[in-house]
Amino acid sequence: MDFFQYDSNPWGQEILVRISWDLLWAALIFGVLFVGGHLVMRKLWFPAHGATAEKAAAEVSPVVDDPGTPVAETGVASDAAPASVKRHSLGSRLFHWTMSAAMFVLLITAFFPLLGIQFPWLTIHWVAGLILIASILFHIVHATFVMDLKAVWIGPGDARDMWRRFWRSIGREGSEPALPGKYPLENKLYHHAVAVAGFGVMITGVLMMFRIDTPLFARDPYMFGEQTWGWVYVVHGLSAVGLVALIITHVYFAILPEKRWLTWSMIHGRISREKYAEHHDPERWAARD
Amino acid sequence: MADFKLIGKNFGPPDLEAKITGRAKYAEDFRAEGMLFAKLLVSPMPHCRVTRIDASDALAMPGVEAILTADDLPEGRGAPNDERALTMEPLYEGEPILAVAAVDETTAADAIDRIGIGLEPLPFVIDPLDSLRPGGPDARVDGNISMRVEDQTVLESRKWSQEVWAAAGEDGLPMGEPTREWSIGDIDAGFAEADVIIEENVFHQSQTHHPLEPRSCMAYWRGRKLHIHVSTQSTARTVAPVARGVGIDPSDVVVVGEYCGGGFGSKISGTVNMPIPALLARKTGRPVMLRVTRDEENYFGRARPGFQSWIKIGMRRDGRVTAIDMYIVQDNGPYGSQGDHNTAATMAHLTYQPENMRFRGITIFTNTPPRGAQRGPGGVQEVAMMAPLMDKACRELGIDRVDHLRANLPGHNATMGPAQTQLSSCFVREALELGAERFEWARKSAMSGRREGTKVTGIGVAASPYTAGSFGFDGLAVLRPDGKLYIHQGIGNLGTHSIADTGKAAAECIDISWDQCEIIWGDTSRHLPWSSVQAGSQTTHAHTRANWAAGLDLKRKLQQIAAMDLGGSPAEYEVTGGRVVHASDRARTMSFNRAASRAIELGGIFDGHELPEDLNDMTVASATALVGQGLMGVSRDNFERGGRLQSWVVGFARVEVDIETGMVDIIEYVGATDCGTVLNPRSLRAQVLGGSIQGFGVARSQKWVYDPQWGVPFTKGFHMAKPPTILDVPLDMDVVAVDEPDPFNPVGCKGIGEPPMGAGAGAIAGAIEDALGGVGFNRTPITTDMIMAALEDQPQPFRGLTAHI
Amino acid sequence: MAIIRDMMAAFELFQPASIDETVDLLGRFDDGWVLAGGLDSFEWFKMRHRRPRVVIDVSGVEELKGIRDSDGGLEIGAMTTLTEIVTNETIRQRFGVLSTAAYAVATPQIRNQGTIGGNISQDTRCWYYRGGWPCYRDGGNICYADTPTSMNREHCIFGASRCVAVNPSDTAPALIALDAKIVVRSGGSERVFDAEDFFIGPSTDITRMTVLKPGDLVTAVRIPAEWADSAFYFEKARDRQSWDFPLVNVATAIKTSGGTIQDIRLAVNAVAPYPMRLTRVEDQLRGQPINEDVALAAGEMAIQGAHLLRQNAYKVPLLRNLVKRAIRDAEVQ
Repeated sequence: MDFFQYDSNPWGQEILVRISWDLLWAALIFGVLFVGGHLVMRKLWFPAHGATAEKAAAEVSPVVDDPGTPVAETGVASDAAPASVKRHSLGSRLFHWTMSAAMFVLLITAFFPLLGIQFPWLTIHWVAGLILIASILFHIVHATFVMDLKAVWIGPGDARDMWRRFWRSIGREGSEPALPGKYPLENKLYHHAVAVAGFGVMITGVLMMFRIDTPLFARDPYMFGEQTWGWVYVVHGLSAVGLVALIITHVYFAILPEKRWLTWSMIHGRISREKYAEHHDPERWAARD
Repeated sequence: MADFKLIGKNFGPPDLEAKITGRAKYAEDFRAEGMLFAKLLVSPMPHCRVTRIDASDALAMPGVEAILTADDLPEGRGAPNDERALTMEPLYEGEPILAVAAVDETTAADAIDRIGIGLEPLPFVIDPLDSLRPGGPDARVDGNISMRVEDQTVLESRKWSQEVWAAAGEDGLPMGEPTREWSIGDIDAGFAEADVIIEENVFHQSQTHHPLEPRSCMAYWRGRKLHIHVSTQSTARTVAPVARGVGIDPSDVVVVGEYCGGGFGSKISGTVNMPIPALLARKTGRPVMLRVTRDEENYFGRARPGFQSWIKIGMRRDGRVTAIDMYIVQDNGPYGSQGDHNTAATMAHLTYQPENMRFRGITIFTNTPPRGAQRGPGGVQEVAMMAPLMDKACRELGIDRVDHLRANLPGHNATMGPAQTQLSSCFVREALELGAERFEWARKSAMSGRREGTKVTGIGVAASPYTAGSFGFDGLAVLRPDGKLYIHQGIGNLGTHSIADTGKAAAECIDISWDQCEIIWGDTSRHLPWSSVQAGSQTTHAHTRANWAAGLDLKRKLQQIAAMDLGGSPAEYEVTGGRVVHASDRARTMSFNRAASRAIELGGIFDGHELPEDLNDMTVASATALVGQGLMGVSRDNFERGGRLQSWVVGFARVEVDIETGMVDIIEYVGATDCGTVLNPRSLRAQVLGGSIQGFGVARSQKWVYDPQWGVPFTKGFHMAKPPTILDVPLDMDVVAVDEPDPFNPVGCKGIGEPPMGAGAGAIAGAIEDALGGVGFNRTPITTDMIMAALEDQPQPFRGLTAHI
Repeated sequence: MAIIRDMMAAFELFQPASIDETVDLLGRFDDGWVLAGGLDSFEWFKMRHRRPRVVIDVSGVEELKGIRDSDGGLEIGAMTTLTEIVTNETIRQRFGVLSTAAYAVATPQIRNQGTIGGNISQDTRCWYYRGGWPCYRDGGNICYADTPTSMNREHCIFGASRCVAVNPSDTAPALIALDAKIVVRSGGSERVFDAEDFFIGPSTDITRMTVLKPGDLVTAVRIPAEWADSAFYFEKARDRQSWDFPLVNVATAIKTSGGTIQDIRLAVNAVAPYPMRLTRVEDQLRGQPINEDVALAAGEMAIQGAHLLRQNAYKVPLLRNLVKRAIRDAEVQ
């Protein structure tokens, strides 16, 4: 397997062109192995989990019809919490789905032609890229000024708790992990990984628009030297295949029965009071309606 | 004019049958037992340093016999801008770095693929003006110009100040300190006298020579003697450059080159690649063939220097040119130093005879292929640039262009250039009148601008002079007992027929029929005399003189032998009809066969045992080898000289420009020439029309395009460089000649190879602009896209003086 | 490693005698290169940038040669030379636009050697790409022909998608005007493409000019009877009168009735990476009389949406004028 693709420039010098598309296969294989491995782990190490999770999933029901009791102001205990808790605002949800739609379009337009399914992909790709960028910009502003930035801040106890959760998840004995706030560390790390890869594709993607003919910029393929361009393409490629792996795992978890209440919340915006109490520390994430 | 039997008559080319049947062997047609093939590794970069060559893998391949690098070459002559066959610091894309010899070309090429090579890119410059900017790159690490200082060539880095650049503005030619300048009269007074002043920045493209036969060569050694089959314009004169390139004595070189598939000045004598197979053959002990590819021919096959120039012309209301001011920045490539710019100015002076003129010029090294003489070097550029400008002045003054030429072209006592050099003869005004009559100038010029459908007619005329002869070479011919005259020719055979045509001077002299003459040429082991280079249109003049001298020597000796054997004084004998005959007693006669036998018996001066003292060493060696074979005519050309030789072609053209497509049809062309006595009308026609067609390419289509970012050319193949094809040529073409003898040639001849090209270029460029109502492109070639842009009032997509587009 | 150019590397040559043998060879060697007249192939080989191990020379396949009647139209074998197409009486009389277009190709010598199959399958002549530069079309990540310093006089004004090269075929627009079908054999199956669908642009696959993939073989071009004896026009603008690829070319077939355009097919080439059929212009023209104004309007419509590069602005008026002429000056041969 190659990691990079090289070519000879007009002077016969070796230049870096992009990542090797072998890495796409690597990302797909990684994703499949991860999912498979996780499924196996669930069955082998924590056989009860599956059943519990399915049961839990069965309990999940849309909560939108149940506006619940009045909202506690702040820092209330779980029993004071409303019947359903607002987890994702409309803005957040619109962002999430816009971003994910853009992301899917980007990945499809990027990788399907490489897999042999040919169609005019380029314009769709960069337009989707611009939508992605717009949505991310919205998200940054929204997260900075409206949302609670601290929700994704990694705190001192996060790592310890994640380790404890993992330890117990594979059937070992250990200390009880503390309940997380809005997001456990896994989610935060996932967010940050997606953010890094996302910024990787977006920044390089914008630069790459100078190499193609769009109405936005005057085309200037010589804006950077060829090695710099090589790295731009490599970062774009690495981030993109990274996103492939990340998205596979994300979708996998989203459709796991025990996580569906979370998935639903990305559609309806709310989680039930029970789930809130069970999975979150009200001290760290105050419920709001 | 003397009544000649051979001179001025139509003859077919002596090698016609061999060429048509394929029997003619060019350099790459030769094969020798055990012959290896060489392939070249050329630089992929416009300027770089070779830091590493690892040929171990290549040399380990079966069938790979040797590698040759710059280290294997003999020392050069020492000037810093000398070019050698191979280099460790390539100065243009395509410059050879090394050569590999192997059992076949496929193996040799595969071996080159396996050579590890390290190249360190260095700064490069493609457009000469870029090199003159403050802080601009130099094409060579040692500078961008060469100067002669106390007989030494020194290089330096020349930059022009911000002020010079600012004064030139966006599109003007910056004019800093030149390296060459001269002036005649008072340029300011000349412009003050003018009724119209034309001032333009004009660009003339560099152009590859594009001979059909690439400069392939094959070499082998017999003892210490090198035998080399080459493609050369000039056989005898190729010996010394080969010897120098290989590092051996000229007497150890045998050059074979019977045919030359075109040279146009790019194969005047030794070509730079000739030492490669010779040295590889020495290294391997086997014959080595280097077949040069079309790409390689474009790389090291020479090119015409391009000009970026500023030209100012003053013209009086009567059409007389009062002043010409020229500044030319010349694109020289990386080696040597071309003089085209100075020649261009001299030709402008000769053509228009201004009383006031100034020339300034500078020659800049660029990382583009080495330049060399190309058919009418400097002259072609001058005519292609000046003719349209003169047209513009005439248009502004409402003057007929032929009247304008009448007012300016020199008369019989012409002089040229700053030294006011005398010409041997000049009949260009007669040529103008003859051409105008044949072309029906009055009727045709009235068609100018006439539109039929979408086609508009344009008419052009251009006068083009060029050097036409030299002197002082040797003639060598032997009348053998078989009654045949063997004429030894050291000049080359590049399709001009001069090996035969100039030999007729010797035959004419002793009145021998042409079918009794054999030409010995193309192989220096066949004892060739010292000859001019077959270039600069020198040969016709130089070697009709030399062969006439040899003929006179024969005639004198025939008369002497007859007088000795038959009584009386030599002067009483005539040489006629293949015999020596007593003028009053026709019975006292001797055949040539008999005379030749007698010469061998007599020895001494008659069969070459005793030779004139003023012969060149090469002729002495050749004549000595021919001793005792018959009656030898051998002599140096000591005839009277009378000024510089210049021939002329005035080109008249009619074109039609399609105003919807920008395409140009050349409808009609007439070349009217002053070339002294016409030596062979068929050859003359071929020269004038062939040269003019090459000029059509200059005006119309022939491109030289570089990518400025990478400094590499695209126009390597014929289909990208676009020289004209025979289908670009009108059926209606004609040649007329004044046919007035030059007084300083025994048969009246001057050369004619060079001037037609400028005439063709200038006439077509002028005609295209005429069709468009006087749109000035100030650039050649004028391609379809440029015409289309002009028709649409679009700006041209390049700056006025931008090179290589 | 050192790079040598302009020297063909060795390959294994196969000279099959039938289509089946050819297809069989193509199945056996996945990098088998089909050699027709060689005018495009040999240049690639000499560049050493395309180095197939196996070359399959189909010049000995008699089934691929010749011009036959077929349902009132013609079937032209892919290996039929351009000279045969120029001189064929039926084509001259009934499908004149094709013989005119074939006559505009290169030189007499090249037309003797070049084939119709090769002419439509030829690669672009972008000199950056042909120079072996690692551009998009070559699998790289840059177009060298569209930079602030590129030499792109010959490049496209339509259809660019990263790559700005043009299709240089002269016969292609004529075949589109005649609604020709291209017959392609791949393995055991035969596919028939409309001429206009045979060519693909860089937005779909930047490394190919046509639908042909390794293993495919063009066997024939079919000209339906539909457009026989129409009014035709073909013109090619270029720098030289011969041996020159088009700057722009145009082909039309027009069915008229009483001076009115009943139906029309109009195609141009060398303005896009593929020969372009101008369907919008065709729609506009149906039912219109043939005159200077209508022709000019068609020309104006043809250039709408043109996207210019550094040096090719002239192609816009050139295209406009050629389309205008193709309407105004079309005639029954």
